[in-house]
Amino acid sequence: MTHPADPDDPEHPAAPSVRPFLRNTGPGARYQPAPPSASVPGPPPGEQTTSLRPFVITSGRVDGLDPNIGLETQVSAHPGALSARLSPEQRAIVHLCGEPLSVAEISARLRMHLGVTRILVGDLRAAGHLDVHVLENDFPDPETIMRVIRGLRSIS
Amino acid sequence: MDFDPYPDNRVVGTARVPNGPQRTAPPVPVKIIVAGGFGVGKTTTVGAISEISPLTTEAEMTMEGVGVDDPGQASGKTTTTIAMDFGCVTIDQTLKLYLFGTPGQTRFAFMWDDLVRGALGALVVVDTTRIDDCYPAVDYFERAGLPFVVGVNTFNGQLGYNLDEVRWALAVRDDVPIVQFDARFRGSVRDALLVVLDQALDKAMRMRSS
Repeated sequence: MTHPADPDDPEHPAAPSVRPFLRNTGPGARYQPAPPSASVPGPPPGEQTTSLRPFVITSGRVDGLDPNIGLETQVSAHPGALSARLSPEQRAIVHLCGEPLSVAEISARLRMHLGVTRILVGDLRAAGHLDVHVLENDFPDPETIMRVIRGLRSIS
Repeated sequence: MDFDPYPDNRVVGTARVPNGPQRTAPPVPVKIIVAGGFGVGKTTTVGAISEISPLTTEAEMTMEGVGVDDPGQASGKTTTTIAMDFGCVTIDQTLKLYLFGTPGQTRFAFMWDDLVRGALGALVVVDTTRIDDCYPAVDYFERAGLPFVVGVNTFNGQLGYNLDEVRWALAVRDDVPIVQFDARFRGSVRDALLVVLDQALDKAMRMRSS
């Protein structure tokens, strides 16, 4: 692990300035506020996208993502999934998920684009080869947070 | 097969999976976002506390160009591929904390909705010599209503400005904690994350009582 280099830019030890949007007439005037709960999966139509190459694996699909399949969502393989007819990428996912694994870890370990991973995981789930463990609540309950706090405190 | 909440003696490998309805119960994942500008120490922060070396995943991110000079104009959206580092801390067999370092090197309003969905909160890492870099993250978390803490990374033990000056520059609400920490040290990162969790707990309590 390398320590990030010192700011390579000695000419820019800029004094703190006020966050720019505060100088605007109306807060939020520059952005369309997009609360996370109102997230729309997939890019809107007509949107200009680049670097679509990885999506060849998904037959060009870039949307139709299940918003419940998050980065940290745990995925595990069904027994027998490995004997099914699968693409090499799908097979690799099933192979990794003998133990529950997060979507982000699948993506990183297979060096597979995150968006591609999510689509393939969604496909495998629809085909009955994967369990995707979707959480019931969007925000963890206080007891869960307390457990995280206690767990972190025990780290030295 | 009886349900075993602590399946530490299970056989590892794909052949082990019995065909029962209840197999290895996966851990409940929770996540904290580590945000900030380029090179402020996000990956260092994640690496200091993670039990695995930070992994990298590539993600497509939709960016909404912010018209700095022309605020009123409808902004063009572009999609770009970014690399995101993450790590994890196993709290126990049923609970796992993930830390996602989000890129923030550009002046864009990030469409971070996927990333932030279900997150406990965020640690915004700030380098006081380039304090502007964290504005997009602060803006985003404020709008998203996500609990966040500003963590001033004290490179080499030096703090360019005191925390009051940082608060003034960021103009965050008084109830947003600003702490200083050193991204290289596990204990320091842990303490900063505990402040984030404190904020998350407050939010969870408010959600329960309402």
